[in-house]
Amino acid sequence: MRGSARHRIVGLSVAVFCLGSLALLQAGGQTNAARADGVRRTPDGKPDFTGIWQAMNSAAWNIQDHVAEKGVPAGRGIVEGNEIPYRPEALIKKQDNYKNRATADPETKCFMPGVPRIMYMPYPFQIAQGPKQISILFEYIHTVRNIFMEGEHYPGHIDMWMGDSRGRWDGDTLVVDISHFNDQTWFDRAGNFHSDALHVVERYTPAGPDHIRYEATIEDPQVFTRPWKMSMLLYRHKEENAQLLEYECFAFP
Amino acid sequence: MKHRTIDGAVRAAITLAAVVCVSSSMLAQRKPRVVAGCPSTPAAFHACAVEKAKAFTPARTPDGQPNLQGIYETPMGGALQGPNSIVVDPPGGVIPYQPWAKAQKAENVEHYIDPYTHCLPITAPRIMLSPRTRQIQQYAGYLTIINESGGHPFRVVYLDGRPHLSPDIKLWRGDSRGRWEGNTLVIETTNLSGLHWFGAGGDFFSDAMKITERLTPVDADTLDYTATIDDPKVSTRPWTVAFALERNMEKGYEWMEEGCFESDRDTADLLLTGFLMYPGPRFPK
Repeated sequence: MRGSARHRIVGLSVAVFCLGSLALLQAGGQTNAARADGVRRTPDGKPDFTGIWQAMNSAAWNIQDHVAEKGVPAGRGIVEGNEIPYRPEALIKKQDNYKNRATADPETKCFMPGVPRIMYMPYPFQIAQGPKQISILFEYIHTVRNIFMEGEHYPGHIDMWMGDSRGRWDGDTLVVDISHFNDQTWFDRAGNFHSDALHVVERYTPAGPDHIRYEATIEDPQVFTRPWKMSMLLYRHKEENAQLLEYECFAFP
Repeated sequence: MKHRTIDGAVRAAITLAAVVCVSSSMLAQRKPRVVAGCPSTPAAFHACAVEKAKAFTPARTPDGQPNLQGIYETPMGGALQGPNSIVVDPPGGVIPYQPWAKAQKAENVEHYIDPYTHCLPITAPRIMLSPRTRQIQQYAGYLTIINESGGHPFRVVYLDGRPHLSPDIKLWRGDSRGRWEGNTLVIETTNLSGLHWFGAGGDFFSDAMKITERLTPVDADTLDYTATIDDPKVSTRPWTVAFALERNMEKGYEWMEEGCFESDRDTADLLLTGFLMYPGPRFPK
């Protein structure tokens, strides 16, 4: 009697477990439904990064560890190992840039800030995700990045402020390959710079329902002795009715 | 290594070439072309398109909205005056300015630089008329319209019924809310800065303007576009423009970045010739 009751309980538990798993599986197939990890999914099962996001760090002033100065919060850098492997002549230029940063930083002229700098500017941005094209719309001077999931980089070299972004999925990670940059943008206010040979590979990986682990590998043999990497979190804006406003930098006298 | 650049002089040359080519082809094209089987003059197109749209059932997005997604061009040009004016109401194609505003428009042309010259973001209806394309993409609860030219001004149009922003927030592109009326996408835009123009001809608006746009599919590749301008500070009555938006049929079309402000070399030259930055309307006391 006791034995059969125990069997019934075990049987019931197995049934509940199986039904639960089935429900989870079904949920995974639905539009925008979340799996157990809470990550929203597209109908084809990819992570859905739709939403308004923002970095929460001080990398726009300095991507390396830095102390506070007037108007600049102290910050832990986003460069892995905190070291940027400049070639000797490039390091001299970086140091010059740092000295003249108040006026020499192209961002002070309100120019498009390039990639990855736009991703850690202190302004929100909106990801609008489709299967063939993922658009990132930025509050900062209404910059637009279109990540094309089909097609290849243009042949030759074209100078662009924000580069040419081509995306693909590596499991749950969105990998974006960017080339065709100009040499007019810096990585931060501290004078970290690149040439037009810059090649960036971004990786966007869900880190829960409201966070994205963002990584960018920087390759530029004219300026650096080896590729190096930035890594940071992006945070979802969860305010009710959050929406992008405008920061039209060059509209201000 | 020589690099091809899309900035500066090359862009100016391309633009000039494009303007010359388009203008000359428009001159050569004395017989107006047909858009969606309708005449291509704005008023005649709109009258014809309204009838055609009644018989057309557009495709739907997976969540059941009429599918307007795509990359669109404007085949008609966009004059606010003259025989082919896009102003279809009042009939006769003239903006019903208040008397002081008519004087302001004349002053604008004479003294001020079109704010678009220095790439300040345009709003409707100019944003739907600017050269090259605009892309409409629909998502759950909102849609985006991203403009190719003018440094890619974009609009996010919320369809989830949320209220407009506080009137204390003013935006160059305004604050847009959308809804469906049958197959027609209706977009209402408020919260405008009121510091921009409708076109290079000095036609202007105030921060009190409300824009109501209506995008109606006429066939699989054409939208009938109208925008009603309600600006009680500037005009004597609401007025409406109409024109066609026609799908770009180039396979795999992708627009390239345009560094508009980054490449602006005109504003400095114009300032040297005595033109001034536009300070916004001078309302009568």
